[in-house]
Amino acid sequence: MVDAEDMITRIEQKSRKIESLIKQPVEALKTALEGSPPKTKDERCKSANWNVVHRAIMAIKAVDLMFSSLDPEYYDILMKYLYRGLSTGDRPTCEQCLKIHEKLTQKAGLGCILRALSDTVNTV
Amino acid sequence: MASSVRLYLSCIRNTLEAAMCLQNFPCQEVERHNKPEVEMKTSPELLLNSVVICRNEAEKCLIETSINSLRISLKVKQADELENILTKKFLRFLSMRAEAFQVLRRKPVQGYDISFLITNYHCEEMQKHKLIDFIVQFMEDIDKEISELKLSMNTRGRLVATEFLKQFI
Repeated sequence: MVDAEDMITRIEQKSRKIESLIKQPVEALKTALEGSPPKTKDERCKSANWNVVHRAIMAIKAVDLMFSSLDPEYYDILMKYLYRGLSTGDRPTCEQCLKIHEKLTQKAGLGCILRALSDTVNTV
Repeated sequence: MASSVRLYLSCIRNTLEAAMCLQNFPCQEVERHNKPEVEMKTSPELLLNSVVICRNEAEKCLIETSINSLRISLKVKQADELENILTKKFLRFLSMRAEAFQVLRRKPVQGYDISFLITNYHCEEMQKHKLIDFIVQFMEDIDKEISELKLSMNTRGRLVATEFLKQFI
């Protein structure tokens, strides 16, 4: 469908931008998280977007600094991606995701987790 | 190494605190019945997204929630064949006495070693944070128990073998 193809090209553009932004991990993460296509049912879009976000998450070194510059509107969508990362089972991904999850829960509270669990409409 | 256990357990604790929001909900299909919806899975509107929290390739935890019940399934780290057998026997021993634990499930979910089923009735009788403390404590103690069992088994095997082979000296 037109929308899916459109989204895939947009995601590819995003991944190229991420590669160039990899030196500033917070910027890369912000770019990766915004424009996430939550309402799509297409698995390819979701996995393509997940690859982009994954790349940005693994590039983050200083987790604390990251939260001072990330806007609160991105917390919910980041939490959903963290759970997707935790389900992969890959050791470095899981370690990184666990670190970020702890800090994010301290910052955003249990409500953020509950929104990630209960949202069956917008899934990542 | 120790900090990754701590992170894993704190992630599970936070997720459980958020997910343990249970209330009484009688069955929608059959009157006068009250079933744990996470086991039945008949109506999608009563279920939340299930999450898998992996520490590494060997250890993971599946948390499924519904409106009146919560199911937690654990896969314990098993380094070699011996630990595999010890874990299976030990956890089977516990599961068969599930009545005494109240929150334990008699059979683990497919692909996991042990499962807990917490319903709204448990939350009414017992305190929520104490239930979560129990689960996290269980996870910490399981690893210790299995390594103790393995150690004692190796010691005994060594003693038996030494005694037996003495007659051939």
